[in-house]
Amino acid sequence: MTQSGPDLPEAAERRLESGSFSSGLTVPDFAACLSMGLRPVGLVQGFCAMQWAWYGSGSPYMRGLNPYAPGASNRGSYVENYNCPHGFVSAEHRMWGQNYEQPWIEAAWAQGYETAYRRMVEEAQDAGAHGIVGVTNQVHQLTDAAVTEFHLLGTAVVVEDGPAPAEGPWTTYLAGQRLAKLFEAGFVPISVVAVLTSVRIWAYCITAYLMEGGMYSWGGYGPHDIDQVASAHMAARGLARERVRSQLGGDVLHGAHMEMARREIGEGDEVVECTLLGTRVRRFKDFDPLAKAMPTVRLT
Amino acid sequence: MTHPAPAPKRPDVRQEVRKAAELLSRPHNPGGRGVTSDLSVDEVLLLHSVEWEPVDLVFGSGLASVPAGVWTWGQGEIGPASESHAMAFRAAANRLASECTRVGGHGVVGVHVEAEVHRLHIDVELVGTAVRPVRAGNAPQVFSSDLSARDFVLLVQAGWMPLGLAFGASFTYVPRRGVGTTIRQKAQNVELTNFTEAMYSAREAAMARLQDFGLSLGAHGLVDATVSEGPMAFARHAIGFTAWATAVKMVADEHRRLAPQVVLPLDDAVVQFEATSLRD
Repeated sequence: MTQSGPDLPEAAERRLESGSFSSGLTVPDFAACLSMGLRPVGLVQGFCAMQWAWYGSGSPYMRGLNPYAPGASNRGSYVENYNCPHGFVSAEHRMWGQNYEQPWIEAAWAQGYETAYRRMVEEAQDAGAHGIVGVTNQVHQLTDAAVTEFHLLGTAVVVEDGPAPAEGPWTTYLAGQRLAKLFEAGFVPISVVAVLTSVRIWAYCITAYLMEGGMYSWGGYGPHDIDQVASAHMAARGLARERVRSQLGGDVLHGAHMEMARREIGEGDEVVECTLLGTRVRRFKDFDPLAKAMPTVRLT
Repeated sequence: MTHPAPAPKRPDVRQEVRKAAELLSRPHNPGGRGVTSDLSVDEVLLLHSVEWEPVDLVFGSGLASVPAGVWTWGQGEIGPASESHAMAFRAAANRLASECTRVGGHGVVGVHVEAEVHRLHIDVELVGTAVRPVRAGNAPQVFSSDLSARDFVLLVQAGWMPLGLAFGASFTYVPRRGVGTTIRQKAQNVELTNFTEAMYSAREAAMARLQDFGLSLGAHGLVDATVSEGPMAFARHAIGFTAWATAVKMVADEHRRLAPQVVLPLDDAVVQFEATSLRD
């Protein structure tokens, strides 16, 4: 048995060593696991509650950084500037605008997710598991305060008569038949992968006008593309994809799920957050081409 | 009497899992460019069966403004709103196509379409997986399609190819009823023809735009159309009708009949106690 991690409660160690197993698998998934030679050893979980007060409403960071303020920079991150074409100088006129990545929010999210993930894997290691199947992850507000809870859950399994993985237990969102198909197709799961990217839109005059139903310029009545916001959306998605790719090491992200959340702050200002998750898989045998699929019609 | 060909030998899943575990027991040397895809394993394998492969997850966003005041009660079509929808959709589709070209894809399958109509702007988001024929070079022109990879494979096998996502939308004012009509109808179970007519008007305009878009792509037809209609949440006197579909063209000499085999499953549709083989 591998040594338990520093975060694992002593009670959890005792429970995992009790001899019987617990699992989050459905009966068909449980049976499929057994038929694949995967023996469940325990339901493993990881939690992490992160305080987000610094990034909540009223926070100076939430409002964003003025790119002209001394010391304000997020070096190495995505930044795109927009300048007013009108030439006005007025306290009410937004002469500049900026889309910029918020690495401190991404780092806080990653810290929460990775801590919960690590704790789940530690439980599996303590139970002597080779992998964790059927992982589910939930990220939600724990209370009405700005506290976010990360909760990962899965079933730790042992590959019967198989060697232990060199780099710790593998993890996957898949279980049951879908996992069986993955193995049959020649792929082995490596780990679940999840990232969040956050882009703040600090609207310049034209974006602010257009998002409020205003006109682009003098006499230009009619709809217009809102490029600054669309660019921010593209950037949030693109950054998420590249962050995940940087974790792949040449492997494949399978079954990716991309979700966007927008939070309007006012007059074109908003925060765009993109979550991308999936299972990193690696090919373990040469591609075995299939015959063309035969179309069928079921009579039931 | 002809006998069906013998089924290919079913792989031993336990053996495959053990083989995979042996790979993981050795150190890994990372290298190469990772591939991202939102396709299922089934879809990846189906694509391989027609010699296509996923390349990358791609996306396109488009936002267009809706001028203030257009939702106040008027007559006929709300032109700026319809135009705004077309603008947002076109921008998103162009960005999706650029992304696909950049990653070396020949087209995008399984595009998820999210179109949100707000009072002052319309937001269209498209996400899908770029695909290409195995070992193919760059394509002169890329397609996008909201068909799943499974449907794409069926389409290709039947001798058709998707050309692009076509769309059409129309927003129309519901005409006011006269005071007399309103009072007369107040206590009646009666069709509100002003709503019905507005719905038909929006439907006709949107479907005509959808069809024109398909024709502009050189399509022979549109498949898998998705339509949504109803009053706007922020302006109940305005009806919106939006539609999108995949424009397709026959590339074979003639349509190839797939001749599906009729099967009568004898198993329980819900409880499956065995990992289903891909080759069954």
